[in-house]
Amino acid sequence: MNKKGIIIGVIVAIVGMGIIGSYSFSSSETVNLDMGRTHGDVSTAMGSPILGDPSALITIVEFGDYQCHSCYNWFHTHKPAIYENYIATGKANLIFVDLAVLGHDSPIAAQASYCAEDQEMYWGYHDLLYNSQESQIDNGWANSERLKAFAFSMGLDMDLFEICLDSDKYSKRVQYNVSEAKKHGARATPTFIIVGPDNQQEQFDGAQPYTTFKKIMDNMI
Amino acid sequence: MSIGLLILSEYIFIEPFVAGHIPEGTEFGFSLIIILSGLSALVLPMNVYRINILKNSKGKIGGSVFGSFIGAAAGACSCGPIGFAIISTFGSIGATSMAFLTNYEIPIRIAAIGLLALTYYTTVRSLRVECKIRPQ
Repeated sequence: MNKKGIIIGVIVAIVGMGIIGSYSFSSSETVNLDMGRTHGDVSTAMGSPILGDPSALITIVEFGDYQCHSCYNWFHTHKPAIYENYIATGKANLIFVDLAVLGHDSPIAAQASYCAEDQEMYWGYHDLLYNSQESQIDNGWANSERLKAFAFSMGLDMDLFEICLDSDKYSKRVQYNVSEAKKHGARATPTFIIVGPDNQQEQFDGAQPYTTFKKIMDNMI
Repeated sequence: MSIGLLILSEYIFIEPFVAGHIPEGTEFGFSLIIILSGLSALVLPMNVYRINILKNSKGKIGGSVFGSFIGAAAGACSCGPIGFAIISTFGSIGATSMAFLTNYEIPIRIAAIGLLALTYYTTVRSLRVECKIRPQ
């Protein structure tokens, strides 16, 4: 009887682990836990989770600010085509690294995105911020209260989110990202570094059109 | 000036490839740059002519240079390299001033165009008077 119980217990445990495992793999995104992550010579360890296939040949590193109008333009005008033709097809992936310097609310918005990452909703929150950006910097659209309202509208656990944001949990992470961007000579937002299969890199700044990305990435593949 | 402003405002890119585009919603800003550049191209040479040939008052060139400078400065979006250089050099004061230029980009450009138009009008009027051949 005892032997039978142990066997059933083991089977239940295995099935349970399988369910949990399959749930986490089917989740829309993964949390960035790789503290040694680099792409080319860029440390993306403190950046966003990877959008797209982590094993894609090409990685696009975007240094950006949630209050930057050029980033907003790129997000709405050119990113959809890049996503559709390169990221969704597994040819490239994208990592967002904060260069949050344009206003007082910029670092707070960046921290909020990582609080959303804690609940595996980084990219949803990232997209919501760029969809909600207003034309004026620091006019309050990205202050702490609005950031919490965005989280609420996404159905995040507000207790966790508020504790995370109010405690400045990710302040150092954002600072690290800003210093990494500056270390690589980022002199505008957005700045892009495209890292190819042999670690060859192409860096340029501005909300450049899709054709520029296409030329560079097609040359790398 | 037109090319410079279009590069500064990210309508034209020269690196890594020459590319140009007008993002949706920025058509008005693009038009203002073209008008501003056209007016500057008219007003600045007229005032340089006034100073060089007529050796006359230098007051009006102040308006045209000021108008052109302000209009151009409004295009230096804080996202761009110039804005970044200012923010890096002057810290939060630089960030605040760049945020102001970015937030009020369109009104500042319209004011600069108004100033240039006024300078153009007064310059043309005074040139007509000064260049008039007086009968002996």
